[in-house]
Amino acid sequence: MGLREYIVRRILQLVFTLWAFVTLLFVLFRMVPGDPTTRFVMEYPTPEAREQRVEELGLNEPLYVQYVEYLGQLLRGEFGDSTHYREPVSELIFPLFLNTVVLMFTALIIAYTFGVLFGAAMGWLRGSRFERGGIVATLVARSSPEFWIGVILVWIFVFQLGVLPRSGIGAHGGELTMNVVDRYVNVDFLRHLILPALTGAIYYMATPALLMRNTMLEVLKADFIEIKKAEGLPERTVLYKHAARNSVLPLVTVVAIATGAAMGGSVIIETVFNWPGIGREMVASVTRNDYPVAMAAFFLMGTAVIVMNFVADLAYLYLDPRVKYE
Amino acid sequence: MTLLTIDGLQMYYRSEAGYVRAADDITLELERGQTLGLVGESGSGKTTIARSIIRLLPDNAEVVDGSIDFDGTDITELTDRELRNQIRWQEVSMIPQNAMNGFDPVYTVGQQIVQVIRHHEDGVSKADAKDRAKTLFDELGIDPDRVDDYPHQFSGGMAQRAMIALALCLEPRLILADEPTTALDVVIQDRILDTIKEMQAEYDSAMILITHDISVVSETSDRIAVCYGGRIVEQADAATIIKNPRHPYTLGLRNAFPDIGDSDEELISIPGTPPELVDPGEGCRFAPRCPFAEEECWDVTPEPEEYDDGHIVECHRADEADELRSLAEKRETWMDTDEATPTPAQGGDD
Repeated sequence: MGLREYIVRRILQLVFTLWAFVTLLFVLFRMVPGDPTTRFVMEYPTPEAREQRVEELGLNEPLYVQYVEYLGQLLRGEFGDSTHYREPVSELIFPLFLNTVVLMFTALIIAYTFGVLFGAAMGWLRGSRFERGGIVATLVARSSPEFWIGVILVWIFVFQLGVLPRSGIGAHGGELTMNVVDRYVNVDFLRHLILPALTGAIYYMATPALLMRNTMLEVLKADFIEIKKAEGLPERTVLYKHAARNSVLPLVTVVAIATGAAMGGSVIIETVFNWPGIGREMVASVTRNDYPVAMAAFFLMGTAVIVMNFVADLAYLYLDPRVKYE
Repeated sequence: MTLLTIDGLQMYYRSEAGYVRAADDITLELERGQTLGLVGESGSGKTTIARSIIRLLPDNAEVVDGSIDFDGTDITELTDRELRNQIRWQEVSMIPQNAMNGFDPVYTVGQQIVQVIRHHEDGVSKADAKDRAKTLFDELGIDPDRVDDYPHQFSGGMAQRAMIALALCLEPRLILADEPTTALDVVIQDRILDTIKEMQAEYDSAMILITHDISVVSETSDRIAVCYGGRIVEQADAATIIKNPRHPYTLGLRNAFPDIGDSDEELISIPGTPPELVDPGEGCRFAPRCPFAEEECWDVTPEPEEYDDGHIVECHRADEADELRSLAEKRETWMDTDEATPTPAQGGDD
């Protein structure tokens, strides 16, 4: 099977997975007790008023009609209107989603870059004081709750050193009228980004570091490492070009999953740093039974995971010549 | 002309229990272009001896005494960096047991050959280095276009040939072949050995062939050294070791391999296990397994003694070799070891 055929098949799979995911999402939310009106009794003083609202929202239609309507919406790239804000969900949610993506990608890039290098060094220096200390530090970082790391960082950089802003996203963060580049590429925004991104990075660094160390220990036993040393190549070449290059393979999958998890897991960091991201909005919308917003938030996160997995599979083709198109 | 002289080398491994004497008082010489067979069971120190030449040893290895002279340079005196740049692969390359695992799976074989050429030789372009790899492939009977293949696309025998290409790409003066054919089936084994011999002659490289299989070295080596318990117990030219060995261990080793001539004869193995190398104490290390051990063997470490020309043996009873040789061919001799030898306090293996 050729490369092109493989990719086409993989795309078809991707579409199917997305469809299954969307269906599951729809069913789950209809199974949640109550509807968007139940939380706000005050707004609907009479049962008639309430029913009228339910009808407005189309919630009295049979489920399959709602389902088809929902799929149609998604295909048009719409998420409907928020039942709470009574505004189009997409306008509401995209800037928030973008804020989260910028924050979490920064955190993950730092976490995986340093985690991989650090883990590789730990594996290479097996049994050294560096490795033992590294494992302890990594486990501490992994076991510390994100909010605690966040609070400690705030205490150091905001209250002790006074060099970074405490929270928020900067003066222009919330404005939708600005173009995306201007919004994110300015000193004020970057200063606001440092602490939350660092919090995420510290928390997420442990997984790649430990995984990398473990696979390194395996790879270092391989005969080819000996041969590369015997070839007289410098240690750094053997370490990074051969040992680490082979050890990084299992991490590709982990990156894909971690990216999705980070989108959802950002809610704590967003809360600590008052970051206007999608995580907080998602939690709020679920408690309000604001289906369109909640579903859109879940949809974006889930899609991120699915797409990242697809990217990971393609990355394997490039990274590991032994992978066959099957 | 002598290429390599190992003189009184003591390469020990530090361990919690003390030094593990993996290579003890090793003295060897290797002429240019010649092949030395290092024979012995696993744990006998043969690999340690070979690898100490390129210092490819675990971190806890330590040269306690002795020197390794490679064409006038004492390798034990070189810094790691000098060793990497001047000796490794440039002068001394290596063929591992399993070639398939000897290549990094994520790069093509060609890329790996190009990498090592360009690391050691300044100013060679990628294209030139690749052409050299192709030429080598051609000489070794592999389609030159296969330099662009990944290791997993090769068969076992092909991979071993590709490995030989890698080992030869800098025209080293010494090749360390560590059980280069053990992982292959018998028919291919022979062909690979022939190929190695041919290439070795063409490039005028010396070789140290490490194996547990005495029949492999008898065909390929000019000289054979037999290792036991971290020491070289006997060394001589190949014919002498095969026809006229003097050390009881060599006698036993010869018995343990089938002779194609009389194939219905059952093999005779040497009873017991290799000795503990932490603090082995005085006495011959083979004594606990030796059917001919006498009191002296348990108490005094035998000194190397030279018989004929270059036939060096570490055994108190080497003088009586002619009688022992006929005894060693008998099965009973080896079966009675346990009762026949007085078991002294130190016990040997238990």
